[in-house]
Amino acid sequence: MDCDMEEMSADNVKTSPADHLQQWSQWQLLDSILPTGGFAHSSGLEAAVQARFVVGPEDLKFYIIQVLENTGSLLLPYVYCASKFPDVESWFKLDRLLEATLTNEVSRKASASQGSALLRVAASIYVEIPSLKQMRDTYLGSGAASFHHAPIFGLICGLLGFDSSTSQRAYMFITMRDVVSAATRLNLIGPLGASVLQHQIAHVAEQMTKKWMDRPVEEASQTSPLVDIVQGCHGYLFSRLFCS
Amino acid sequence: MSGKGGERGERKMETGIAAVEKVGGRSTVTRCFSKYPLKLIVPNKVGSSKTDAVWIYTLSYGGGIVSVYKSVDSKCSEQVLEARIGRNALLAVIPDPVTCFSTARYSQKQVFRVFSDSNLVIVDWITSGRHESGEKWEFELYRSTNQIFLEEDQPLFLDSVLLEQASTCSIAERMQEYHVIAMVIILGPMLKHVQNQVQDEVKKMMSRHFRVPTPTAGHYMRSESQSGPTRPALVASCSAFGPQAIGVVVRIAAVTTESVYMFLRHHLATLEPFLGVIPYG
Repeated sequence: MDCDMEEMSADNVKTSPADHLQQWSQWQLLDSILPTGGFAHSSGLEAAVQARFVVGPEDLKFYIIQVLENTGSLLLPYVYCASKFPDVESWFKLDRLLEATLTNEVSRKASASQGSALLRVAASIYVEIPSLKQMRDTYLGSGAASFHHAPIFGLICGLLGFDSSTSQRAYMFITMRDVVSAATRLNLIGPLGASVLQHQIAHVAEQMTKKWMDRPVEEASQTSPLVDIVQGCHGYLFSRLFCS
Repeated sequence: MSGKGGERGERKMETGIAAVEKVGGRSTVTRCFSKYPLKLIVPNKVGSSKTDAVWIYTLSYGGGIVSVYKSVDSKCSEQVLEARIGRNALLAVIPDPVTCFSTARYSQKQVFRVFSDSNLVIVDWITSGRHESGEKWEFELYRSTNQIFLEEDQPLFLDSVLLEQASTCSIAERMQEYHVIAMVIILGPMLKHVQNQVQDEVKKMMSRHFRVPTPTAGHYMRSESQSGPTRPALVASCSAFGPQAIGVVVRIAAVTTESVYMFLRHHLATLEPFLGVIPYG
């Protein structure tokens, strides 16, 4: 079964008019309109605001940068490995490893929720890749997999034929996109201000991507303990807009 | 209680080994070896003689494992601990915090192999440096890795904290006013009551600190003019992990070391019957 999948992704790359058609899939995958429920999560920003870790615009920028750094150090290796080896067996191993690595219960649940939604959507959209639906059918019932976000994202990118560098950059992009969006919905910043901020941080996000890309999962680590602690407090919020 | 204690060392240079097993119904050190620069000390009596527990202290010649000196030639001071915990046994790793001096590089790795009915308490913590000298998170690199594997190498808990000075953001900037970070892992069926208590109390303690900011028209983030409550001096969150939530991990950041000692004393006090004394008492 693994052989079939490998041939299939090779065919995708060979037969599609490479770059052009791929861009349509790529843009759709990164578009915020994709119904993956990313907007239910604030990456701990809501808790950070309520505990006064984010009070002003400089705090917000700094917070987002730390989220990006933590994403790079902890999750990018999973995106990398899944995109380089986009087969179900490799994916399952990564999923189990990440389940043990996401020791923060809030982010672990958020990751599983987003990953499941992404796989469901991708299985429906990318019908030219039947392995997505097969994988979902196989593992959904058994409860053996958690469907964590980073490996699923990497897997889909790999199966769609994106190179691993693009896949990792894309993961950092959607992370940034979602935190910035959460900031607007928390009324920390207006939509225009958010767009300005997003562009301002882009070069930092690129720096982080370059720094943390192409690493094995054994090196995955967290670099912003304070952000992790605050995010873990999300369950203690009395009043909340977000799930995490 | 029966079980094995800590096994220390890298592949090439094992500097110490200890084993604790049930002999004639009592936990006994059946093996204890250490060589320079490590010393394992097994005092005859720690706490009540009614308690069936063995205490093993580790010391390192040259200032202690706990204090990490300036790095020379970018070499990293590294230590590795490997432990196997048997069925129905308990291992508690309860050190003082690591203090890294300015420009130091430090790396530690602790690997624990357990059964589903093994019990484990791990405290892993670090302070910002020598406060008297004004050092605040000035070390070059600190890496701490804790891994727990359940029967047949099933990954249960894989955590690695990496603090490295970076151009985008120094460690001090990341830590803000906090001088200590700590992690406490409580795992196993014997410790369910400890887990429940920690989770409840951390939730109660932290819930007080969260409130929705009162919105002014539009964006409230105008200036520092809003005088109001400050950030908590100790911030913590608790997470369950593993199948059937067999483990709980607490992560803490605090302004003072003493507040963390108090937190640990309070929450680990219920271990006294197992250990013979209150940890950090």
